[in-house]
Amino acid sequence: MVQLDIPPNDYINPGHLGCPGCGATLAMKFALKALGEKTVVVIPASCWGVIAGPYPQSALQVPVLQMAFATAGAAASGVRAALDMKGDTATTVLSWAGDGGTFDIGFQSLSGAVERNEDCIFVCYDNEAYMNTGVQRSSSTPYGTRTTTTPGQGWKKTRKKNMVEALAAHRIPYAATASIAFPEDLICKFQKAKDLRGGSRFIHILAPCPTGWGIASDMSVKIARLAVQTNVFPLYEVQDGLKYTLNYQGGRPVQDYLQVQGRFKHLTGADCDQIQQKVDEDWELLRGKAGIYVDPAAARAREQRQCKSKARKS
Amino acid sequence: MAPQEAFVDPVPLFVPCSRTSTEVNKTGSWRYLRPTYTEKTAPCGAACPAGEDIARIAMLASRGLFQEAWETILQENPFPAVCGRVCFHPCEGACNRAQLDEPIAIHQLERFLGDTALAAGTQAAVNERSAQGRKAAVVGAGPAGLAAAFFLTRLGFTCEVFEAQPEPGGLLRWGIPAYRLPKEVLQGEIKRIENRGVKILCQTPVTARTLEKIKARNDALFIAGGYGRPIRLNIPGGEMACDGLSFLAQIRSPATFAISGTAAVIGGGNTALDVARTLLRRGVEPVLVYRRRRQDMPAFAPEVDMALKEGIKIKELSAPIRIAQDPNDPESFPLNYELTLQKMKVSSTAINGRARVIPDGNKIETLRVQGVFTAIGAEGDNLGDFPPGANQKHLELSHCQMALQDLPVIWGGDLATPVKSVTHAIASGKQAAIALDTLFAEGWDAVATRLSACRIGSGPTVSMAAYLGGDRERRSARVVTFDEINADYFHPRARVTPVTLDVEQRLPSFAEIEQTLVTGAAREEATRCFNCGICNACDNCRLFCPEMAVAVENTARRINLDYCKGCGICVVECPRNAMVLEEETP
Amino acid sequence: MKQVLEGSHAVSEAVRLARVQVISAYPITPQTHIVEAISAFCADGTMDARFLCVESEHSAMAAVIAAASTGVRAFTATSSHGLAYMHELLHWAAAARLPIVMAEVNRALGPGWNIWMDQTDSLSQRDTGWIQLYCEDGQDVLDTTLMAFRLAEAVHLPVMVVLDAFYLSHTFEPVDVPRQNQVDRFLPPLVPRISLDTAHPRVLNQMAPPGVYMEMRYNIQTAMAQVPRRLTQYQKEFRAIFDRPPGDAVEAVQCEDAEVVLVTSGTISSTCRQVISDLRSRGEKIGMLKIKMFRPFPIALVRRFLGAARKVAVVDRNFSFGASGVFAQELRAALCNLDGHPPVFGYIAGLGGRDVTPDTLVEIYRRTQDCPTPPEESIWIGLNQEVVQSWYN
Repeated sequence: MVQLDIPPNDYINPGHLGCPGCGATLAMKFALKALGEKTVVVIPASCWGVIAGPYPQSALQVPVLQMAFATAGAAASGVRAALDMKGDTATTVLSWAGDGGTFDIGFQSLSGAVERNEDCIFVCYDNEAYMNTGVQRSSSTPYGTRTTTTPGQGWKKTRKKNMVEALAAHRIPYAATASIAFPEDLICKFQKAKDLRGGSRFIHILAPCPTGWGIASDMSVKIARLAVQTNVFPLYEVQDGLKYTLNYQGGRPVQDYLQVQGRFKHLTGADCDQIQQKVDEDWELLRGKAGIYVDPAAARAREQRQCKSKARKS
Repeated sequence: MAPQEAFVDPVPLFVPCSRTSTEVNKTGSWRYLRPTYTEKTAPCGAACPAGEDIARIAMLASRGLFQEAWETILQENPFPAVCGRVCFHPCEGACNRAQLDEPIAIHQLERFLGDTALAAGTQAAVNERSAQGRKAAVVGAGPAGLAAAFFLTRLGFTCEVFEAQPEPGGLLRWGIPAYRLPKEVLQGEIKRIENRGVKILCQTPVTARTLEKIKARNDALFIAGGYGRPIRLNIPGGEMACDGLSFLAQIRSPATFAISGTAAVIGGGNTALDVARTLLRRGVEPVLVYRRRRQDMPAFAPEVDMALKEGIKIKELSAPIRIAQDPNDPESFPLNYELTLQKMKVSSTAINGRARVIPDGNKIETLRVQGVFTAIGAEGDNLGDFPPGANQKHLELSHCQMALQDLPVIWGGDLATPVKSVTHAIASGKQAAIALDTLFAEGWDAVATRLSACRIGSGPTVSMAAYLGGDRERRSARVVTFDEINADYFHPRARVTPVTLDVEQRLPSFAEIEQTLVTGAAREEATRCFNCGICNACDNCRLFCPEMAVAVENTARRINLDYCKGCGICVVECPRNAMVLEEETP
Repeated sequence: MKQVLEGSHAVSEAVRLARVQVISAYPITPQTHIVEAISAFCADGTMDARFLCVESEHSAMAAVIAAASTGVRAFTATSSHGLAYMHELLHWAAAARLPIVMAEVNRALGPGWNIWMDQTDSLSQRDTGWIQLYCEDGQDVLDTTLMAFRLAEAVHLPVMVVLDAFYLSHTFEPVDVPRQNQVDRFLPPLVPRISLDTAHPRVLNQMAPPGVYMEMRYNIQTAMAQVPRRLTQYQKEFRAIFDRPPGDAVEAVQCEDAEVVLVTSGTISSTCRQVISDLRSRGEKIGMLKIKMFRPFPIALVRRFLGAARKVAVVDRNFSFGASGVFAQELRAALCNLDGHPPVFGYIAGLGGRDVTPDTLVEIYRRTQDCPTPPEESIWIGLNQEVVQSWYN
């Protein structure tokens, strides 16, 4: 049994407008557990703009600034500047954008903000398409996905943009991936990000969307976990754009992840092999970047995996 | 506003800015599936003849709550330290963890808890009723009789146990060698039963005549005299063989023992193995002679493995046909015998799934041995008109036979159990206690129903905790399978290995082969348990609830149905299948 | 104290004196001098403020919106394409009811690329909910900027201070720069009514369903409608503190007996003053109505000053394609329900930085005088007919 050391308080109110099984809601739940009440959240247009509640309700127990789609990076910078001018350097500014607001329309603003090394935590909760508008493809949509704008045989034929690498290339103090299926790791990363004041921190969270991914609402955590276990979404950290730390070593076949999702059900065995190849390539590239620096936790995970496969064989 | 403000009409400011919480939305109305906390039955508990709540025992032990864990055993079984040693632990065979790595070392854990309690000398706080003025007599102070007395006492009966031997324990005392069960352990656990008020009258054999007197003084009778009479080997020279059980009893006392060289032990059960292994410790080279194949031996597999490891030879497919004194050397000491064996072979037809063996032509083998021991079974006395015939009102239960004579009589233990084991004997005593209590409270017709209601899983095992009411009674009888465990939460980890004496260390003495686990190892092993089907307060349901709809109230979790949207993540992420998702009823 | 300042620096001085706390801007000609000077103030400690060098005007406006939402005084400046790029967020700032002040240097929009004076950029933002104040000279720029903060914070609406490219932004004039203590009296520290506050957490700018959206929009108009009265009040205070009159929402120059009233805005007004002086000395009955406040449009004042005029000639340095000059449109709309209102002649002049000289205005005056009614909706002044005809060849 994995023993979790999780802060007890929640800063989300029940009655919010998230769909059943919403991964993005869980992402926020865990993030705020780590960041606490001294947090201001900036939310550009996204599912979270709805989840947070219609007038006059609020789903969050921290202040929220909802903003236009492209503005997360700049708006967070503005809040930070204003808080600093008011002498409040203790409050964390959390920019909370979806993949559209990060990979696509919000990319310029985010790039500008992190280039200025703004003292904010920038989060992308990634559900890999424009879910709020009815599942249209974004530049975060992975190869092989069917969406309403990549329908039928026109399923997406290009790769998902690698956002952490793009952010790491800005040489920001901290960039990391996290998953709602690994709350302890996620919370730990947010606590780390919170403590690393004075510069830009970026956390990329995979947040499955039952509706958009064609999965049952009870499977969102399970599938987020599979994404990590198959190396489709590796958990890792990059400090100063240089020092890579792998937090988990996956190894399950990608097929395990693909076959349980409606958005991939059209893929043939050959398509899956191709995806496996891409995932392996990316993983090797990442491992290369991690170089000789191996996180002890990752080493442990590898040992456990070997032990498990040995146990299976016998 | 500015102090010099001269305007009286304020500027209106109606902006999209929250002033209340989303808690006004009762999103529970979206739900069409409802999660509930429904504890289920762990396969280990269902496989345990005594119905121990192993999943909970391991959960408590993993938290270091050893006293509570031990008390949970005592709810169902008064002999943890004994059973931790001698039970053949079918629980481990059923353990779901075996499909991930290896089963939990449940018997080691039970033994640790039993020994820890014995060392501390504590009494268990278990469910019990106050005295109700009824008296029950128990014949036989073996595991069945003592268990019956223990459970009857808890149900408010006053109990007297009659034992023919000078000391209580039955087969546990006389039939199991010390290297498997040290005397002090047995004494300690029996003492604890006596401390609950059970009176054990030793050297008091019950005959047909004394039985009438006992009946007159009591309201009910439980007969568990065991299989005291060994079955003799019915071949020419059979009278020259020693009875194995008597040998095991004798060896307990420092009586003279005069044999050396080689001895044949005839039989394939646990007693045969115990005899062989005891002989080995007395410097004799035993040969086990069994008429079927090794895999057909009724002895428990781990015991066979141990025996082989110690160097005991097994001559399978060999049926004794004659014993004779060595004609060439009639005066030697010790005496030499010729044991003639008919070689057997497997017939193509099987009976009840068990291979049938038939003589293999005229193949004969002759063994030259200095002793022949038999362990081919035993039988009981038909005390109290056993088995009950059609002339009496009677009921055949899974572990007992029950009849209504001038007072209710139940036969249990080896006389009535499907498997002749210590734990089945204990189960039999418990079943008898519940049956008697139900009989007095609700009448004859309620007995079968009541027993069925407190079964664990779908098997015959009954639970005293369930009978007395409580959490366990509410548990679903559905047995959790490995597929229903969320294995993502469990990583392969080696099973604990107890400290074991080397073969060289074992043979010169009757010291216990396996040592009791140390505290740290026991607790560590307990944490390997999946706790199948029961909530161990891991809090995953609350952690992963996207609706903040799981609350903890007095350590129990509750779903706030005002807000639960029925996504079902809590059910899927429950590592141990202690929840279910059901269709919402409108 | 009088200083010789270019118009851009008059803005910068006012921003410094207003103790603005967060400035965010992106470079665009001819606005850059404004923020360069403010950058210098921030760098040398003259101002205790944070300057965010963002990567676009869109982000500049987003950042000041966020800063204002956090309860500090915020400022930005832009021009032309930058303003157009901000468009989405201009709506956002107004509907979020944020007292942001922005200096907007009127410049033409491309293509063809043109960095010179043209009002179409600011006027095409007229429906965003911003107050728009147009400046005539350097002093007006400084005074209007200070007034903009006062007004914005009173009515919870953003204010655009508009100045002509180069004619004003890059032209040096003597400007009376007030003392800090005077400005502090006129402009007390900002006390926001709603802001991001961890002690009182609220969601700002959230979803507004149909049941409330319309009321929120009506609420903006209610605040807008208070602007003229408040401006009058603050003008009194301004005069008392700074000992000079600030610019009126509308200024009427010799309109009472005028046969033709020219309607102007921005620096053309100064040119027009000279033309009036010249023509009046020759007995011509010419007047001028300078419109400073375009939003909210001063309907009551326009009716009062023009209701009895004989002819109105609007000089528009902008154009709304498919319609007419924007000031002319607004004016016609303001007058149309007034019985016996004068004919409104619409003139388009000086687009894309073309000079509007005294002669241009005299031509407009003459042409208006010569026609009893407007010959067409818009009369384009100074078109090179040779070029125009060449298109058809």
